Amino acid sequence: MKKDMICKLLIIGTGPGGYIAAIRAGQLGIDTVIVEAKKAGGTCLNVGCIPSKALIHAAEEYEKVLHYAEGKSPLGIGLAAPTLDLGRTIAWKDDIVRRLNNGVAGLLKKAKVPVVHGWARFKDGKTVEVETETGPQIVRAETVIIATGSAPIELPFLPFGGNVISSTEALALKTLPATMAVVGGGYIGLELGIAFAKLGTKVTVVEAESRVLPLYDAELTRPVMKRLADLGVAVLTGAKAKGVSAKGDALLISTADGADEKIAAEKILVTVGRKPVTEGWGLEEIDLDMAGRFIKIDDQCRTSMRGIYAIGDVTGEPMLAHRAMAQGEMVAEIVAGHKRSWDKRCIPAICFTDPEIVSAGLSPDEARKVSPEIKIGQFPFSANGRAMTKLAEDGWVRVVARADNHLVLGIQAVGVGVSELSTSFGLAIEMGARLEDIAGTIHAHPTQGEGFQEAALKALGHALHI
Amino acid sequence: MPGPYDVVVIGGGPGGYNAAIRAAQLGLKTACIEKRAVKDAVAFGGTCLNVGCIPSKALLFASERFEDASKHFASIGIKVTPEIDLPGMMGHKERTVDQLVKGVSFLFKKNKVDPYFGTGRIVSATQVELTGPDGTKETLETKNIIIATGSEVMPLPGVTVDEKVIVSSTGILSLSEVPKRLTVIGAGIIGLELGSVWRRLGAEVTVIEYLDRIVPGVDGDVAKEFQKILTRQGIKFKLATKVTKAEPGASGVTVTMEPAAGGAAETLETDILLVCIGRRPFIEGLGAKEAGVAIDKRGRVETDGHGRTNVPGIWVVGDVTTGPMLAHKAEDEAMAVAELIAGKAGHVNYDVIPSVVYTHPEVASVGKTEDELKAAGVAYKTGKFPFTANARAKTVAEKDGFVKIIADAKTDRVLGCHIIGPEAGNLIMEVAVAMEFGASSEDIARTCHPHPTLTEGVRQAALGVDNRIMQM
Ligand SMILES: Cc1cc2nc3c(=O)[nH]c(=O)nc-3n(C[C@H](O)[C@H](O)[C@H](O)COP(=O)(O)OP(=O)(O)OC[C@H]3O[C@@H](n4cnc5c(N)ncnc54)[C@H](O)[C@@H]3O)c2cc1C
Ligand SMILES: Cc1cc2nc3c(=O)[nH]c(=O)nc-3n(C[C@H](O)[C@H](O)[C@H](O)COP(=O)(O)OP(=O)(O)OC[C@H]3O[C@@H](n4cnc5c(N)ncnc54)[C@H](O)[C@@H]3O)c2cc1C
Repeated sequence: MKKDMICKLLIIGTGPGGYIAAIRAGQLGIDTVIVEAKKAGGTCLNVGCIPSKALIHAAEEYEKVLHYAEGKSPLGIGLAAPTLDLGRTIAWKDDIVRRLNNGVAGLLKKAKVPVVHGWARFKDGKTVEVETETGPQIVRAETVIIATGSAPIELPFLPFGGNVISSTEALALKTLPATMAVVGGGYIGLELGIAFAKLGTKVTVVEAESRVLPLYDAELTRPVMKRLADLGVAVLTGAKAKGVSAKGDALLISTADGADEKIAAEKILVTVGRKPVTEGWGLEEIDLDMAGRFIKIDDQCRTSMRGIYAIGDVTGEPMLAHRAMAQGEMVAEIVAGHKRSWDKRCIPAICFTDPEIVSAGLSPDEARKVSPEIKIGQFPFSANGRAMTKLAEDGWVRVVARADNHLVLGIQAVGVGVSELSTSFGLAIEMGARLEDIAGTIHAHPTQGEGFQEAALKALGHALHI
Repeated sequence: MPGPYDVVVIGGGPGGYNAAIRAAQLGLKTACIEKRAVKDAVAFGGTCLNVGCIPSKALLFASERFEDASKHFASIGIKVTPEIDLPGMMGHKERTVDQLVKGVSFLFKKNKVDPYFGTGRIVSATQVELTGPDGTKETLETKNIIIATGSEVMPLPGVTVDEKVIVSSTGILSLSEVPKRLTVIGAGIIGLELGSVWRRLGAEVTVIEYLDRIVPGVDGDVAKEFQKILTRQGIKFKLATKVTKAEPGASGVTVTMEPAAGGAAETLETDILLVCIGRRPFIEGLGAKEAGVAIDKRGRVETDGHGRTNVPGIWVVGDVTTGPMLAHKAEDEAMAVAELIAGKAGHVNYDVIPSVVYTHPEVASVGKTEDELKAAGVAYKTGKFPFTANARAKTVAEKDGFVKIIADAKTDRVLGCHIIGPEAGNLIMEVAVAMEFGASSEDIARTCHPHPTLTEGVRQAALGVDNRIMQM
């Protein structure tokens, strides 16, 4: 039997929630131990945000040059058809993941936080047993942070295995499938579906709701719908996946009008959402209160048991890495005795589709619920000089504000490269900006950010460039 | 006689056309005069749209795509051999310029600004004489005049621009073939942007600069990194060097130069010579001096800091007055002056004017540099974060550059931000908005920055001010 480890703070899971909590705790001099069953960096670094964005980047560049090769380049770049070496692309992506894995391990080391490798399980509220390769290890801690994250949801009639894959396998394909059916048109399904379509796969998206990206307002998703059509992606809405064909080479669905159909699919990518990881680590032993499927937390990420905190995807929506990180940082500070609570007014969400979508704060419909009257200013990139020079005229920026005092409630954008505008939006909301504040801030010319300023001017009734 | 107008704007660049639009929106009867002709028709939009920001950015974008495809795609698994079709690339530039220039005329129509084609001359504080392209003259009566005549290329003694082999920033935007050797005089923003365009397309580029550093005015750390990166990309620098003569010959241009501190002269042969040592205010034929408008030693129209000249009723905006020669500065002054004329409270915050260099990587800054703060005796702290440690940068195959945030040592208020790196021009806006709110570096650090984005680098730099970077 190994000697027990005793620490002030134990963190379970090295995803963005857990590892950030550990680094911050280390900075604050808290004696901390972290446990991880798989690889440092969690879903995000290993099979989520990072590898997906690398693949999306490569696919985007490939599709662009392919487009130029068809003689359609308005830029005057001539070329013969490019060839894709998917193995090389995947190796590049794997190398990024490897470097970031090592990076997180290095940061934990620098923060003097030891990592125990293995699956953790609560014995009681202060004791966790980790199944390490070399036997069980008991860790006793005053405080525990649960950061066990989330996992892909499996459909009972489409179990993972063989040709039915989750986002994890999709990011590690060695050869390009000729056909792919994507079940679930949320952001993960569309991001990956678009990437594969650009690389040359014939993609069909099957979505049960009446439209894809149902969490975003319809206007925001329209430019993406248009692009999907351009890329030859078939989108079947109101359709239900039912299973796999006997040969395993097709997805069986029933269409919106109830007809049974077969969709040829070398791979069936199931992206119907993610579920919190709440099993197998002894939730029963500590009997925490739940909020639906998720662990219930308060505004300091405290669970119903004293000394146990929970952060990240296991605590609910939005299941986003930057929410997990912000929670992790806050909890470490609380454990160190700082006065902190969750006071974020805005967690921007980005879809790395083509074009990209950003949503910060409230949509017009949500805003109408908190403010009887609202003002909306929307400015198209087709009237933005920078967008024109970049061939990125599709899309727009929209600002939603209260009509009475012009307080900005929400900012949305869709367009090429808008992901990097997201923090300007978030910061404006976080600072309590009024329309006049945005309109009165000089935005550099020529940048897409000018679209943000113009949208605010438009809401005020005097846009300059439209 | 047309008019009487409330406002007559002389010059249709970003300063002039925005002032005219905003004045008209505020219910003022407004005219805008522009002398620039393209194919015999008036071309609004000024330097910026016609021969500045827009055409240069269009070529920068296209040439960057070309270089990406030629050099960087192999490492991400894409094999391709691109070729340049220069007329095609120029076509992209011309289409973009054309659309935007037409757009200004459309905006004038929509906002009810009366456009005039010709040269404007101030006769008095209430009269502007317009000389049309055919020489006909008419006089516009007005209550206010806004001078928005912009700037022109600064000439260099001993070097005569012919726009063929010795070119200005205008000529370089329309070369008909890629020169084998391009020499740029002046390592400022415009010279480095345009030098980069032609280097990407295959020219051997040498930049000669009088000072011993590039991009004067830009933060020293950033400038050093910038020079290193540009050198790696293949640009050669000759710093602390003065050009004394340039002579076109049978096979290009012979450039004579000597060390700035004095010393032996040397010569260099080049196919094209780009003179890019800056711009100077343009007031030729404007009649401003004659009307009693005060002009400073550097030829700039003086103001009270709120766009008023010393002559009541005559206002000024943009490159022709003091302050950075930037389109968005001109535009902000334009809005403020129009609002002041309409009796509202227009205002320009000269402390928060971002500036961007559109090379690759981009360079962007807002607020004070360390040098400026040292000179002013302000105690400050800095936080710095490299893009090598940013996840988004890795996924888009970028690694160069860093973010530096400077905050007041006592109050933590953000005083400046300097970025060299991918998308720096987009990243700087967050800090500009924060500075407008008088934010502290902690405010930036406590704002949720979405993952994975390059903006996370800005947050890490803000954390760095408090010595608590987490991702490095
Ligand atoms: C394809 C894809 C793309 C995505 N793209 C984005 C994006 O662009 N932006 C964004 O913000 N978010 C994105 N996400 C979501 C993001 O990955 C998650 O929100 C984030 O990883 C959540 O962090 P976490 O720390 O809560 O959990 P996780 O990252 O899931 O980490 C939990 C860790 O805990 C470990 N663990 C669990 N239980 C135990 C146990 N009992 N013992 C030991 N270890 C345990 C797991 O092995 C895992 O490493 C994406 C997700 C996917 C799948
Ligand atoms: C190559 C290049 C790249 C640049 N890139 C950028 C950039 O990326 N970002 C940025 O912010 N800035 C950039 N600039 C600078 C930017 O173009 C100027 O700051 C901006 O155009 C200034 O606007 P303005 O209205 O003051 O003057 P201008 O744009 O110069 O406009 C003045 C107009 O007035 C007209 N005019 C002058 N006298 C008279 C008269 N008497 N009667 C009638 N008309 C008259 C002129 O013909 C001209 O069209 C760049 C400049 C160049 C040269």
